[in-house]
Amino acid sequence: MGGPAYDCLTNPLGAVRFSFVNALSSGYDPASSVGKDWGVVDLFRHYFSDESAISQVPVLDSSSIKWVQPKTLVRFRGMIQDMLGNEFYAGAYKDDTTWRTNKYSDVAQFPEGSSTEMKVWERRLLYCVPVPGQNQWTECSSQELKNRFLDLTGQNREKRVRVDEEMTDSIDSNALEAGLNGSPFKKMKVGEATSSASESQVPQSSGIPPATSTESLPCLVKMYDSPESDLKLNDVVEFLGVLTFDPIVMMDTDSLDENSDDLSEAESVQMPSAKVPRLHCLIHRKLETQHFLRGSSLLPEPKSPQIFKEIRESLMKYLTGLLGNDHIASQFLLLHLLSKVHGRVDNVAVGKLSLNLIHLNKESMSIFGTQLSDALKSLLPFTQSIPLTIEYLNTASLGPKKDYRINRLMPGVLQIADGTHLILDETELQPGTLNSVGVENANLLKNLLECQKVEYDFQYYKMEMATDVQMLIFSEGKSNIMPADLVLPFQPSQVNSLEVITPETAEAWRCYLATCKSLPHSIGQELQQVVENDLVAARQTDRSLGSQDLSRLLTMARMMSVSYGETTLSLEHWQMVLELERLRKERLK
Amino acid sequence: MASDSSPGNPNDGPSSPGENVSSPIENTYSSPAALHRRRRGRSSTPTQFATPPPPPSRLASSNSTPPTSRPSAARSNGRNGRGGGGGGGGGDPGTPLSTDEPLPSSDDGEDDGADDTTPTFVWGTNISVQDVKSAIEMFVKHFREARENSEDLFREGKYMVSIRKVIEIEGEWIDVDAFDVFDYDPDLYNKMVRYPLEVLAIFDIVLMDIVSTINRLFEKHVQVRIFNLRTSTSMRNLNPSDIEKMISLKGMIIRSSSIIPEIREAVFRCLVCGYFSDPIIVDRGKISEPPTCLKQECMAKNSMTLVHNRCRFADKQIVRLQETPDEIPEGGTPHTVSLLLHDKLVDNGKPGDRIEVTGIYRAMTVRVGPAHRTVKSVFKTYIDCLHIKKASKLRMSAEDPMDVDNSLRRVDEDVELDEEKLRKFQELSKQPDIYERLSRSLAPNIWELDDVKKGLLCQLFGGNALNLASGANFRGDINILLVGDPGTSKSQLLQYIHKLSPRGIYTSGRGSSAVGLTAYVAKDPETGETVLESGALVLSDRGICCIDEFDKMSDSARSMLHEVMEQQTVSIAKAGIIASLNARTSVLACANPSGSRYNPRLSVIENIHLPPTLLSRFDLIYLILDKPDEQTDRRLAKHIVALHFENAESAQEEAIDITTLTTYVSYARKNIHPKLSDEAAEELTRGYVEMRKAGKFAGSSKKVITATPRQIESLIRLSEALARMRFSEWVEKHDVDEAFRLLRVAMQQSATDHATGTIDMDLINTGVSASERMRRDTFVSSIRDIALEKMQIGGSSMRLSELLEELKKHGGNINTEIHLHDVRKAVATLSSEGFLVVEGDRIKRV
Repeated sequence: MGGPAYDCLTNPLGAVRFSFVNALSSGYDPASSVGKDWGVVDLFRHYFSDESAISQVPVLDSSSIKWVQPKTLVRFRGMIQDMLGNEFYAGAYKDDTTWRTNKYSDVAQFPEGSSTEMKVWERRLLYCVPVPGQNQWTECSSQELKNRFLDLTGQNREKRVRVDEEMTDSIDSNALEAGLNGSPFKKMKVGEATSSASESQVPQSSGIPPATSTESLPCLVKMYDSPESDLKLNDVVEFLGVLTFDPIVMMDTDSLDENSDDLSEAESVQMPSAKVPRLHCLIHRKLETQHFLRGSSLLPEPKSPQIFKEIRESLMKYLTGLLGNDHIASQFLLLHLLSKVHGRVDNVAVGKLSLNLIHLNKESMSIFGTQLSDALKSLLPFTQSIPLTIEYLNTASLGPKKDYRINRLMPGVLQIADGTHLILDETELQPGTLNSVGVENANLLKNLLECQKVEYDFQYYKMEMATDVQMLIFSEGKSNIMPADLVLPFQPSQVNSLEVITPETAEAWRCYLATCKSLPHSIGQELQQVVENDLVAARQTDRSLGSQDLSRLLTMARMMSVSYGETTLSLEHWQMVLELERLRKERLK
Repeated sequence: MASDSSPGNPNDGPSSPGENVSSPIENTYSSPAALHRRRRGRSSTPTQFATPPPPPSRLASSNSTPPTSRPSAARSNGRNGRGGGGGGGGGDPGTPLSTDEPLPSSDDGEDDGADDTTPTFVWGTNISVQDVKSAIEMFVKHFREARENSEDLFREGKYMVSIRKVIEIEGEWIDVDAFDVFDYDPDLYNKMVRYPLEVLAIFDIVLMDIVSTINRLFEKHVQVRIFNLRTSTSMRNLNPSDIEKMISLKGMIIRSSSIIPEIREAVFRCLVCGYFSDPIIVDRGKISEPPTCLKQECMAKNSMTLVHNRCRFADKQIVRLQETPDEIPEGGTPHTVSLLLHDKLVDNGKPGDRIEVTGIYRAMTVRVGPAHRTVKSVFKTYIDCLHIKKASKLRMSAEDPMDVDNSLRRVDEDVELDEEKLRKFQELSKQPDIYERLSRSLAPNIWELDDVKKGLLCQLFGGNALNLASGANFRGDINILLVGDPGTSKSQLLQYIHKLSPRGIYTSGRGSSAVGLTAYVAKDPETGETVLESGALVLSDRGICCIDEFDKMSDSARSMLHEVMEQQTVSIAKAGIIASLNARTSVLACANPSGSRYNPRLSVIENIHLPPTLLSRFDLIYLILDKPDEQTDRRLAKHIVALHFENAESAQEEAIDITTLTTYVSYARKNIHPKLSDEAAEELTRGYVEMRKAGKFAGSSKKVITATPRQIESLIRLSEALARMRFSEWVEKHDVDEAFRLLRVAMQQSATDHATGTIDMDLINTGVSASERMRRDTFVSSIRDIALEKMQIGGSSMRLSELLEELKKHGGNINTEIHLHDVRKAVATLSSEGFLVVEGDRIKRV
């Protein structure tokens, strides 16, 4: 048997079984354990404790699915789109006198009644999809991994025949079967051709890569030993686990009899494993923006305000250029890009800062809007844009909806991961009639904007899910459908040609944004008093100021100070915010 | 319910004659437990029901039950008649009963002669079948409810009574409350929950025994349905250890299949000779067609055909149950579980119903394919239902409280509050600042408007409804109208209450017509029949009907509200339908002042601009005026700063979270029915008389809202609601005081100028009313006159009382009473002008 290191990568199930045997010998009792972990997680966690080891594992996506081998370790990065409940499986069974385990695998069959002793364990099923609106720069290129991996598995195949003979059981024959069925092998060559072709088309070095067009590859993740509260709907997670194909399920689809149809969970029916690969998760982690960055690290915050300042300046310059030299707009845009919900009290989401740029018409939209959205795509990990037209509102399904017929949550456009940037273009909106769907959709958007919550329709009741979405609205006049926190008349003075950005700068900016967003923030006692006094004074002079307006000022102050890499609010930044607000009010007049 | 793997199968003989006898499976199938499924509602098989009452020796027969070797296969056949049942289930705990006889082949029912002496055990356990049987017998025969006292000692036990009843009405089951079982014999209860298949099978046998001793000719098979388990499992927590256990869980039906006729027994006929086969029983989900005619003389091959109308079918339905929204943790999606309903349970609930299910959790292996003998490693799980109880708990408990006939409340409709929660509530209610805390917790994100929130809180708690024997009804619902400038978060308050209230309906005045609010008669286009359709008010019966933009509602629509708001009914007399529908709803309406903004020059009534008939039906009318107040502004600023810079949650630790709030309110509404204490009653009378007086202010009757008998009812309701908040059974004096205060505050009465009926904005801003100021001015000038007249500069001083006398003499231009303190104030003004000097109570001109 090879070293454990090698095992983990290419023969994870071998490692699992190996550790199971070990655990058994040291007193692990499958009969009473209810399938609790016997050290596998630690083994893998240890092996993949650093980033470089993780990067060795191929990422499962629509191109790599063509060449990765079943029964090997893969990574899947995606958003949890639906939770399919728990599944009971025959976790351990006694083969004559020794226990065997089915954990982390899909071995699915037993001769009826043959096993004398068998334990039922449970696992969770999560249906994951690639994060909606994921931008191209976030994807890890797996080209070089692929080549290396193919080598490795080639070796492994020989080795396994030699060394792992005692381990071979029905699993291997399954693998063989799967291989013969062709999906991994036959498609491999085709996959190679297409993937290399598509990669040559993509100009990697250009500052603004085109939008991604990967067909989405969903994945059914089977979770073991993880507390339920750990993972939530719409979390962006990286799963590391064993990829399996489930040949039995495929057979099942054409032999459904009435009985099993009624009771079946139906997921296997809708999700043939040819389309939806299964991943038996060994370890997982939630992904933040920094995980998508190449360097995988944030800026060191406290030591280097200078660095922050420099990057801020260059980014501001870029944004101002994009916005036709409208300095105020670019200031607000930066603050908007840094916003993030960091607390919720009842219906108030603290920290959101949606921006509505007004005085934009179709023509200026086509210039600035496109530029801006392209720029955002290159800066943020997840971006989406929604054209607000009557037709779109009347037809689109924005809110996710539960379909009880197939017992699945049907995704809606607004089922998005936290931290997604959403552009709503209202300049296209023409007078017209909204039907009931349209009204519902408009309400959903409004609710998202005001409370950062999306209603999920479970038919018999609705459930509100908290989200964290940055919303940027373009409109001609103040948008009444979408009441944003900040309304700012957009006043470009000239149209600039696009700057070309080097990948390094882009990377630095992404890193800057991610770092700033993650910074903590506080306020000193003294300044707190100042702020309070200012707020009271403001409200005394203008009675129309509501709590939202005051709250917005504080949010802006937070963003402002964070944008300079500082974690406590300073008087200077507070005054900058008040000044900005004054300028904005002036423009609104 | 049951498995076939029951202890006794004395019925084997009769029910499975002929060729069936040889197969152990079929034998098990016809064992008493299995009868369950067969006996339900089906009586077409004479053999089945001709079963004679079990002989006394039946116990012995239980020695010879199913083969230990294929326990689960047998079980699943019996239970579901489903294919592929067995294999995988081998590891399940506590499968069928077995005997201490090692020979599985000896399981023929006819064997029962065997020995009586060996105790029989539930397979895999040390539970003796005899023990369980006698325990059940004891329970059924001797259980009495605690409240039946000793004099009833000779009466029959609760379940004996229900058995007799069942025999009388020829029923098919007896509902057994698991709490009763636990009270009588905790040990039996535990066994029943842990090994439901076996224990219930025994239970059924015991019942049959008893039934046959009472009525030997009773043909139907009575079975037991357990409900009301002591612990209820959450769907999320179902795990492999629950398999084969009795569980109870709550959920909502989301989908139910059509009713599936499941074949139980098949009868075949030979096409050649017309011979009818004996009924063939389902074997592992299959019925094998006899390859040849069974008649010795015929023996034709492939001639047998199924005779549908002589087969026996049982109803089966598969229902999907989903977690109720409140059980779903944050960021999760609801879990679902399948239910298998049989016979009488079929169609007991429809999608959308909330039910509590008692049943047995089962896992079933699935065969890879019909032709394979291998099964998948993944199990399908479902719950075999024993009992379904419908629950209707929407939001706050809708089964209301304020209704008078709550003596008829059924036990199972109660809000189940566990001890701990109750204790917490009691503790909460004892807090001195509970009133403040509750009002703070109401819509905490809406600032100021504290008194409005207090009023809304009263509305949520409600007063006591009263139905006098004379037929007079007094509503307990409190109606509130909010009138205020645009942008004073009225609508938000409305939305909030709407979310909180049981069965709230939210409508907007502009979009509502009279019929939309009440009810209307519509003609069915198909049949031409007239039907009543309920409107918003009827739909929010026992809830709160929130009407936004009340002022923009058409007059005719508004007038419909008159009846609803006082009589709490909607009467319809149209198109031949005369009906009176209940609309016991509180109305929460909000409106803008006439002219959109509050006009301080007009009186309150003119500003509200609603007919007084309607106005008097509102218990509280709030005028929401935005007053600048640095104190609240500062509080707001502090709050917002805290929100941003501290832990958002700690910023409002004081507040009670919304779920606690709703349960608190529901509990109070249901259980607390405060009465007026004498002291409080006295205070009410006194206050009311005072209010009447105030209303009789000279020449002002048209300009202020005068007190009517309705007000005193409102006051009673309000003070009852206030007492309810404290979980107090008595309305105390301070409740009444607070009710008066609310009423006053609502109308801004402190600032209302009685003389003109207008609200003095200056008074709100500075604390002095305009007419008061005018009065003071005339005062000052007349004092000045007197002083000029009577005193010289630097001359003798004058006592204030003398001055007062002078003023009274002067009197002509001051029409009201003059008090000394008025004089003093006026003098102070003059002295500040440097016209007078005050020395003690004397004045001097300078």
